Amino acid sequence: MTAVLQILFDALSVGSIYALGALGIALIFGVMRLVNFAHGDYIAFCVFAMLWPSLDVVAIVFIGNLPWFLLIPVILGIGAGLSIISEILVFRRLRDANPATMMITSFALGFVIHNVLLMFYSSRPKAINLWSNLSLPVEIMGARIPLLQVITIVMTIVILLALVTFLRRTQFGVEMRAAAEDFTMARMLGVKANRVIMAAFGVSGALAGCIALILATQTGVADINMGLPVMLVAFVATVIGGLGSLHGAVIAGFLIGGVSVLLQVFLPLEARPFRDAFVYSAVIASLLWRPQGLFAPKSSKERV
Amino acid sequence: MSTTKHPSVLAQTVSTPVILIGGLALIAVLTWAFGSNIFGRTVTEMFIRVALVVGMFTFIGNSGVISFGHAGFMCIGAYGSAWLTIPPMMKKVLLPGLSPMLANAELTFFLSLIIASLFAGVIAFAVGLILMRLSGIASSIATFAMLAVINTIYSNWGPVTGGTSSVVGIPITTGVWISFGGAAAAVVIAYLYGISRSGLALRAGRDEAVAAAASGVDIYRERLIAFTISGALCGMAGVLYAHFLGVVNPDAFYLGVTFISLSMLVVGGMSSLSGAVIGVVLISAIIELLRKMEKGITVGEGTLSLPNGIQEIAIGVVMIVILMFRPGGLTGGAELSLTRTRANDGYSKKDQGSGNHPDNKPRR
Amino acid sequence: MLLSVENITVRYGRLTALRNFSLTMEQGETLFVTGPNGAGKSTLLKSIAGVVAPVTGTIHFHEQDVGGQPPEGIARLGLSMVPEGRHVFGSLTIEENLILGAGMRRDKARMAENLASVYDLFPVLSERKDSHAGVLSGGQQQMLVIGRALMTEPQLIAIDEPSLGLAPKIIDQVYDTLTRLRDERGLSLLIVEQSTTRAVMAGGRMVMLRSGELVLEGDARELSKGDALNAAYFGFEEH
Repeated sequence: MTAVLQILFDALSVGSIYALGALGIALIFGVMRLVNFAHGDYIAFCVFAMLWPSLDVVAIVFIGNLPWFLLIPVILGIGAGLSIISEILVFRRLRDANPATMMITSFALGFVIHNVLLMFYSSRPKAINLWSNLSLPVEIMGARIPLLQVITIVMTIVILLALVTFLRRTQFGVEMRAAAEDFTMARMLGVKANRVIMAAFGVSGALAGCIALILATQTGVADINMGLPVMLVAFVATVIGGLGSLHGAVIAGFLIGGVSVLLQVFLPLEARPFRDAFVYSAVIASLLWRPQGLFAPKSSKERV
Repeated sequence: MSTTKHPSVLAQTVSTPVILIGGLALIAVLTWAFGSNIFGRTVTEMFIRVALVVGMFTFIGNSGVISFGHAGFMCIGAYGSAWLTIPPMMKKVLLPGLSPMLANAELTFFLSLIIASLFAGVIAFAVGLILMRLSGIASSIATFAMLAVINTIYSNWGPVTGGTSSVVGIPITTGVWISFGGAAAAVVIAYLYGISRSGLALRAGRDEAVAAAASGVDIYRERLIAFTISGALCGMAGVLYAHFLGVVNPDAFYLGVTFISLSMLVVGGMSSLSGAVIGVVLISAIIELLRKMEKGITVGEGTLSLPNGIQEIAIGVVMIVILMFRPGGLTGGAELSLTRTRANDGYSKKDQGSGNHPDNKPRR
Repeated sequence: MLLSVENITVRYGRLTALRNFSLTMEQGETLFVTGPNGAGKSTLLKSIAGVVAPVTGTIHFHEQDVGGQPPEGIARLGLSMVPEGRHVFGSLTIEENLILGAGMRRDKARMAENLASVYDLFPVLSERKDSHAGVLSGGQQQMLVIGRALMTEPQLIAIDEPSLGLAPKIIDQVYDTLTRLRDERGLSLLIVEQSTTRAVMAGGRMVMLRSGELVLEGDARELSKGDALNAAYFGFEEH
């Protein structure tokens, strides 16, 4: 029983990170048909924002020293800010461009951010000590679960609930959902394009900040590549979940996290290093079964 | 009724590969005559990239599907050639898991090149049987998943691939001329495919899927053919690369090379062969220039140099700026050609984006 | 003058969809735009709505120059566009679809009034207001998008092919609604229809497009007597 519980929490907490990442990617994809390959670098940027620029192995914590009730909003704000600035400076001009151009531009942007971080912080991972007391286990029904996992799961649920409420109950939320489904039609009804897009970028950036905080606490390391694995899965989850569907992306994120953890547990020992190969094969299978996504909105078929 | 004979597609468009190969040949000659050893290595690497990106173009440009997976075929080709050419003594130690036939093999470079490239093509065909059923972004994600699968397998199958450690001992045979040959061969093959029935049909399917299907185009089949050919070409690039470095490692065929080569393709112009070649040459040139500037150029009394790390940032910024002003890439899909015809003009629906053409008045 | 299109030319890449096209509309008018497939009718509507920008020429709505304005700006001026294919937001409920257009007016009381009035006009929408719009039938979707357009309090509704894909009986209902709106609320209607029959039945002015150019103009009923209509539609006067 305790083993099952531990696996469950593992799966949920890994899934949470992927779900938050997928949501960040899906928000922007929904309104702009843009896969933001810079998202992983936004995450890394938020982590390093806590440190003072230095090339040493030991990190000099700067903003990271703020008390949690200040640190969290600051990092979320930095993430949102970076994201919105990229929209204004880079992506705004490319609103009508073809998908390949937008993808490569976002990749180039990520590349630039990555190298800025490299310049100021070097590629050596730095040890950081963020809320390390959170890795202590708590007892839940006989199982010892790291407190951080519990907090991650709870925080993710809170964030998702808040977003759902916002999207369903506010006028602006309805406008954003409409814009994600059919941007041009939404504009023809008076929905302001710029505001919706900026909001999407802002929320996406703030989500990147959340992930940064979770990863930094979880791993105790600041590494300029740390956002990459999350972004890749987020990208995949957005597509499997169904383009234009925010809840699809979230569910797919949890699914991939779950499958990943389950495989880790149940695969025979020799096959374990190949776990990722199995996960990605499952992705291909999912796409063959439902290419439009598991939860694609009903009006997403191409009209002749 | 007109009685003049229309020139064939070949006659109309053959100037393109001729110009492209001629340009590359010029670079090769100049390098061989005047370049230092180090410069020669840089040019060799560029030619290998041309082969890779042209290989990618064969599928991506003609089908309109962005594939993230082609570095996987490069990997397959590279390791394939490694298996065939590393001295058996070394293989016994490094790669104990190889089958006896492979473990004892020691082929010449050219034979290995052909076999390994074909092998990559066969794998591409097998994978393509499954993947080519998908379209659009689902297809792109599937190719990315394929790359991840290949990378995971090669990174973890120690006895056969050496896992994440580098496999050494590959005879170094790729120099400026061999890599030029590879690039030229890729251009020729890509060109011939492009003007073939399959290539034309695939492009029709790219621009107007429904109309093409209604006209009897089997998009699945044409995509499969393109995917296979492009897999073989990328495999060839992988072989050239393996024999250039003498060392292979799965990391060299994963995200880094994928994105740099896709960037070169898109910045050059995704829908044209000229775009593929120009993208590689131009970006390689800019990278070289920035590299030199980082080292410092003597200006009068002092040295003018850029701070470390600026080089990569600058190339990223350059790419962003180019795409902002030319969203269809530098060539916008057009081909370098001596004749201006419909076949070369570069009109591609995929390049046009969502419908607002820059010709129309600017809109907020 | 409600709407004035002056000499616009619209291109998609190398394709010229509209060439030196002009058009005027007065308040309260019903104008039909007809013509064969690919004539440029949808392009015309998209230009007016701000979705595509003409290369040359100007468009004035309520005497204001709307060239270069984004679609949301033009919607705010009182022009509501119902594009071809209906475009309901399938993942939103019917009520959410409707209140979308009301967002820009900001007045909650008025929005509630407008909503009630739309439900009055289309009772079937009221019955299913919390269902997802994706499950509606074609005819119901057409009602929804007209209702949605009404929520923006427009003076002019531009509709692209309202009868597309609908059974004749349903089309009758749609046109009944449209003529009611015209007669009871004084709404101006700009309707694109491939079929000239509907134009004749509903009555109003008609312009015909072919290959991006204006080929015929006049009162629908007048034009339907004689061969002028067919000749212009099929291009009989050219060889």
